[in-house]
Amino acid sequence: MVSTPRERKWQMVVDVDRCTGCQACVVACQAENNIPFNSESHFKQGRTFSWIRIERYWEGEFPDVKARFLPFLCQHCDNAPCEPVCPVFATYHNNEGLNVQVYNRCVGTRFCQNNCPYHARFFNYWEPVWPVQMRNSLNPDVTVRGRGIMEKCTFCVQRIRRAELDAKRQEREVRDGDFQPACAQACPTSALVFGDVKDPQSRIHEGLANKRRFRLREELGTEPNVVYLSKVDSEAKEAAGHA
Amino acid sequence: MQQRVVLPQPQVNAELLKNALRAPLWYWGIMAFLGAIVVAGSVAVGFLMNKGFGLSGTNRPVMWGILIVDFVFWIGISHAGVMLSAILRLSKAEWRRPATRAAEVLTVFSLMIAALHPVVHAGRPWRIIYWSFPYDFSRGLWVNIRSPLIWDPSAIFTYLTGSALFVIVALIPDMAVIRDHTTGLKQKVYRALAMGWRGTPRQWKLQIVAGFLLSALLLPVFVSVHSIVSWDFAVMIGVEGYHVTIFAPYFVIGAVHSGVSAVVTMMILMKWMFGWGSYIREEHVESLAKLLIVIGTTWLYFFFVEFSFALYSMESQEIALREMQAFTWPYWPLALTFILFSYIIPIPLWLFRKVRRNFKIMFWTSLLVNIGMWLERFLIIVPSLARKQVWPFDWSTYHPSAIEVLIVVTAYALVFLLLMTFAKLFPLIPLFDIKEGQTLSDDIVIGKRRVPALRVEE
Amino acid sequence: MKTTRRKFLKWSGVGALGAVVFGGCTIPERELLVQSPAQLPEDLVSGLEAWYATACGQCGAGEGVIVRVIEGRAIKIEGNPDHPVSRGKSMARCQAGVQALYNPTRLAGPMKLAGPRGSGQYQEVSWEEALAEVAEALGFQAPSSVVLMTEPLRGTLGMMAQRFMAAYGGQHIAYDALEQTTLQAAMKQVFGTDQLPDVDIEHSDYVLSFAADFLSSWLTPVRYNRGYGEFRQGGEARGTLVQVESRFSMTAANADQWVYVEPGREGEVALSIAYVLMAEHAGAINPAAVNAMTDGRGAPALQAFNPASVAQTSGVSAERIREMAKALADHPHSVVIGGGSAGATTNGLFNLAAIYALNHLIGSLGRSGGIIFNPPSPVADLPATAKVGSFEECQGLAERMRGGQVKLALVHSANPVYGLPASLGFAEALGQVEKVISFSSFMDETTAFADLILPDHVYLEAWGDDIPEPGPGYQVVTFQQPVVKPFLNTQSFGDSLLKIADKLGGNVKQALPWGSMKDALKATAQKLQALNRGSVQSPSFDAFWNTVLQRGGWWDIAHKGSKPPAPLPKLPTSRMEPRFEGPAEGDAFFLVPFASHTLGDGKGANLPWLQGIPDPLTTVAWQTWVEINRRKAMEEWDIKEGDELEITGPGGAIRALAYLHPGVSEGAICIPTGQGHTQYGDYEIGPDLFRNKVGTGRGDSVFAALAAAKVEGAGALAWAANRVRFRKTGRNIRVAKFEGPVYPDFHLIEEFVPVSKPGSSL
Ligand SMILES: Nc1nc2c(c(=O)[nH]1)N[C@H]1C(S)=C(S)[C@@H](COP(=O)(O)OP(=O)(O)OC[C@H]3O[C@@H](n4cnc5c(=O)[nH]c(N)nc54)[C@H](O)[C@@H]3O)O[C@H]1N2
Ligand code: SF4
Ligand code: SF4
Ligand code: SF4
Ligand code: SF4
Ligand code: SF4
Repeated sequence: MVSTPRERKWQMVVDVDRCTGCQACVVACQAENNIPFNSESHFKQGRTFSWIRIERYWEGEFPDVKARFLPFLCQHCDNAPCEPVCPVFATYHNNEGLNVQVYNRCVGTRFCQNNCPYHARFFNYWEPVWPVQMRNSLNPDVTVRGRGIMEKCTFCVQRIRRAELDAKRQEREVRDGDFQPACAQACPTSALVFGDVKDPQSRIHEGLANKRRFRLREELGTEPNVVYLSKVDSEAKEAAGHA
Repeated sequence: MQQRVVLPQPQVNAELLKNALRAPLWYWGIMAFLGAIVVAGSVAVGFLMNKGFGLSGTNRPVMWGILIVDFVFWIGISHAGVMLSAILRLSKAEWRRPATRAAEVLTVFSLMIAALHPVVHAGRPWRIIYWSFPYDFSRGLWVNIRSPLIWDPSAIFTYLTGSALFVIVALIPDMAVIRDHTTGLKQKVYRALAMGWRGTPRQWKLQIVAGFLLSALLLPVFVSVHSIVSWDFAVMIGVEGYHVTIFAPYFVIGAVHSGVSAVVTMMILMKWMFGWGSYIREEHVESLAKLLIVIGTTWLYFFFVEFSFALYSMESQEIALREMQAFTWPYWPLALTFILFSYIIPIPLWLFRKVRRNFKIMFWTSLLVNIGMWLERFLIIVPSLARKQVWPFDWSTYHPSAIEVLIVVTAYALVFLLLMTFAKLFPLIPLFDIKEGQTLSDDIVIGKRRVPALRVEE
Repeated sequence: MKTTRRKFLKWSGVGALGAVVFGGCTIPERELLVQSPAQLPEDLVSGLEAWYATACGQCGAGEGVIVRVIEGRAIKIEGNPDHPVSRGKSMARCQAGVQALYNPTRLAGPMKLAGPRGSGQYQEVSWEEALAEVAEALGFQAPSSVVLMTEPLRGTLGMMAQRFMAAYGGQHIAYDALEQTTLQAAMKQVFGTDQLPDVDIEHSDYVLSFAADFLSSWLTPVRYNRGYGEFRQGGEARGTLVQVESRFSMTAANADQWVYVEPGREGEVALSIAYVLMAEHAGAINPAAVNAMTDGRGAPALQAFNPASVAQTSGVSAERIREMAKALADHPHSVVIGGGSAGATTNGLFNLAAIYALNHLIGSLGRSGGIIFNPPSPVADLPATAKVGSFEECQGLAERMRGGQVKLALVHSANPVYGLPASLGFAEALGQVEKVISFSSFMDETTAFADLILPDHVYLEAWGDDIPEPGPGYQVVTFQQPVVKPFLNTQSFGDSLLKIADKLGGNVKQALPWGSMKDALKATAQKLQALNRGSVQSPSFDAFWNTVLQRGGWWDIAHKGSKPPAPLPKLPTSRMEPRFEGPAEGDAFFLVPFASHTLGDGKGANLPWLQGIPDPLTTVAWQTWVEINRRKAMEEWDIKEGDELEITGPGGAIRALAYLHPGVSEGAICIPTGQGHTQYGDYEIGPDLFRNKVGTGRGDSVFAALAAAKVEGAGALAWAANRVRFRKTGRNIRVAKFEGPVYPDFHLIEEFVPVSKPGSSL
């Protein structure tokens, strides 16, 4: 394992007011993380993979209709409900605040997904198959998961590790902006900002200090590491019941 | 008050051992039928393992399906054995005698079958033993003892070991009887199983003490097993309708309700199939029915407490969930059937002595309870997952696939098959217990009537 | 058989497990490799990666991307952070480029028809033979009977195609199913340029958009999304976006206010706003423009468009019109744009001209937060704008084909057989052409007519350049270099053209003097180097060339577009009524087609990522759906989600699955483009037991229902000028959508999606 010279804690800020629901992050994550193709049957059987997904909520009816987009990904909860229920320690917390999934240990009980309040985990119901030619574009840094196991957003840990290796080669610390997770890199509106909160230089502090800040289901005490900035809407009804 | 038919010992031996000694043709017919289902089910499991759990009807929010429902159901059934044997033995209830063996055996088999369900239900069953056995001392890899899925097997295997011992201890004297009635290879096998039983007073004493000790030991285990199974759900903060503190006693009492009902069903079946009318008599079924009235009503109380706690919380999510369980298609017909079958139809009927003593009605009503209780587990497990998230975007439904249904049917066939096999090899009604009852019996005169009673030794 | 360690493990594993599990099941080999049980495998990355900058060929915007290459394989596409348009950002379509590269149905080498046309029977030929045959055919036919159809081309390749056909004497026509010719015509009218406009959204404080779905598919969505993010939360105050559109598009979904307008009435609304601006906010607008545009008459000139009367026809209330006018006047950095369906009714040009003319009143042209145009191309004969053949020209071409005047058709990456309305009969017309030669990378509906196919590289394997349009307002040339070695027997279209020119000799050869596409590109680079300005400057050509390739292009921030000195347009004083094809009254609905967010004009339909991405609003994937008013469907029409509807338009009948949409008006239905391919290569993906085709066999194409109506004055296809009827076919098919099947019947959305008011501290 790569030794970590400085303590790190990775977090992401999701500015809902910037997000247009464009799905760039979704494809970027699929491309980066060797996520199996979502075939028609995946949709029809309700088994679509989307480590990051955009939930769209309708509000009202024509002509006073609104749609709201909410990006969801693993919240990398500091107090993750998925972790204690896994019988084989296939999912645990590392010392950088990441909720880690060890594919090799997972036996596929799906207990963790049941207990994830954010619905962030995806079960491989089938052996993933790629047309032979398309295997060329698989990312060699990321394991292809076999059938029968859980997977979920890793905060693109392979990119973190690469950045660490590069920094080490150059004999320096990892700097903010050395890398971004695939979703944040693609996101054309810059709705996603990723960073190390232990790094005072990190751009993430800007978002963390924002007044619109909230976290999903804070009342559960899961201590998510994904922080949201709420949507702004001059016509909205009084926002109900959230911190 | 209990009537007693006093039978000569050779007749008891002949009647209760007739299967074990020579089986009728219909027996093999049933065995073949059950065997065919089990083979089909095994092929289904093989197919499932080969192709992946995608063959089930589970999906992203509803990750657990009817195999888990059935798992909880069979764990529930397994509560019959100890409930009957241990509690009744400890409380010296005389009517228990013909029921105990079948109930205990049912416990053992249903536990074994129950434990298979989560294995089949896992994504990579072939890795479960590998990773859930704490073997890897050198790398310091241990199983996660915080997970109820580790508590589960511990509880189940403890219970299974205890119940198996319980059955074996009670079987020893009967093995000796069979040993004495057979010849050749068969005799050799039963001789070994009888473990040198000769029926000396010391042996009898030890056997009885062991029975009592095991009863006392198993009682807490039996309470723990279903409590732990309930914690599979109750620990989940992520699922509305699961994290309920009352789950443990609620599950235990529900399990006893369905388990004892299953014993009633099975006893009546045994009476019909093997013609054991003189052993399984109306008073037995009646006593069990009385017991069930108490258990069922207690269970109903817990059910309402659970439901009203949810409403009392005034959480919109909880209330929406309850509303869905009770009023939304396709759940409301299931909910209605469940409450009718597991309480509203059987319990009031059983208040009538005539009904309690009627084998046919008792057979069908006890069966209803189990259908109802299966649905109860379904309604606990599935709707909560279908509406797991507070955000409604992922809300879904679940339809079991044909393969899942076949596997569930196979579980029933397998338990039945195992019971039938047991009945072929060993007496399903304990010879010694029946004889003990008869030996210790006495008639006392009350007024002008002779009433059967137990001789009480000083 | 030698027993290796792996084999031993495998067999002992299978043996042992087979005993436990069931005989006959095989265990994936991967399972038996020794894996770390304690670590996430991603903790142990190694290997070298390389990033190459190149130009994107996935859509027409021409942006710069960088591609991650490991061991000769293209792995991942990202936006080029240096590139002035993408600035490191990308969208779903850009990401999917690697799937075009590694598509299993790519045409693997030159082929010649071996059976009757359309039979799909081809035999391999050598490049030499194929090129000779093309040259022979070109030499044999009268040049006037030869036509070259390409995708819209800019940059060096565009110049080459133009020169080739000019020297040879044939016709070159660029085809684009989602043509912007009406917009170009409107730009000409209003601003005196045929360039496409860029919008400085990030610095705008009020964007009034008429049906321009700029967050999804309009012109250059990456760039607009990037601007939108800043527009929302980048500056001091949060900008306001108002979308006036007859469909609830993705842009409408993100707007602060969506204003429903009857199809074809966008221009009236714009002119009504102009009226209010002149009548009520005269102090806030440019008086010179008012004078020039109304011949000095001011508001009374637009009396016909007073809000009260426009409200009656457009469905936009007079109050709303006044609000929008006031907002335009009050915001110092407001801007008005239009496109999409607003320009696709028969009066589309009238609409767009009226919409863009508002910019003169509020003075937004060229100012911060306004409309920006590119300066002319830095190199004289390098086209900075793709001249696209309008629908009318395609119609004329079809006429000539039918009349036997076209003997030879060369096609490159254009698919008019799929994209033109079936009612035009382009397929039969192409069938009349003696010889069809295709240079496409994929078998598509047009290539299926080909007698000879000379497959092109995919852009990641080829040399090239592009001038992004719309651009950032200064000169940019994006350079495209091969990031991987071609792995099929293909050749880039540019190289094919040059080799054909070689064979033809004469003035064609003189017009195209380069040895290869790379040489041609170097020649362009030399001209850029000679300018001696911009982002890359070097006295050494090698250094210049390497740096340009490394950075992904050349640009010159200092060379901004100047406001073209054009006379201001006159505002119309009377209405131009839209005309609609198809049934006029009764149970007829307006058909509002829209460009699919991921499949675009259908080009993306053979890429699993794009097929498998849920539509942002309906969350449907893989299928053609039709959006109908939710309430009416439930209460009156008795239509459920997934009911198959047969939609009969003036051009034909198509089928689509009903999606009950809360944002569709009661009088319209909306259908996305992109599906309905009959020829687009056949391959399957998905789990073993539930495989599904990609590309073909995926629902119907909305183009098949359209009439051959034209936008008056622009000649473009008026794709939003149709009325249709629909009926249930009785079938119900499960809709492949991402959202769960349960429509939540309680609407406490703020409970789930927290919302705050502008300026509030939550
Ligand atoms: N640190 C600390 N902890 C203590 C104590 C202490 O002194 N210090 N005291 C202990 C003692 S003695 C007690 S009794 C407990 C009290 O502990 P709790 O029972 O938790 O009491 P409260 O926090 O007063 O209120 C409970 C909730 O009831 C809600 N509520 C109010 N009226 C109604 C109503 O009509 N219907 C419903 N459904 N809800 C209502 C309130 O809004 C509040 O959210 O705390 C114990 N814990
Ligand atoms: S979001 Fe879910 S999967 Fe992620 S850490 Fe939290 S509980 Fe676990
Ligand atoms: S599915 Fe895998 S990670 Fe999740 S609880 Fe089961 S074994 Fe653990
Ligand atoms: S952080 Fe990486 S793994 Fe997580 S959603 Fe984004 S791209 Fe996917
Ligand atoms: S890429 Fe950004 S804007 Fe697009 S859906 Fe994802 S988070 Fe939203
Ligand atoms: S918007 Fe178009 S040109 Fe730009 S990167 Fe995406 S696909 Fe390529």
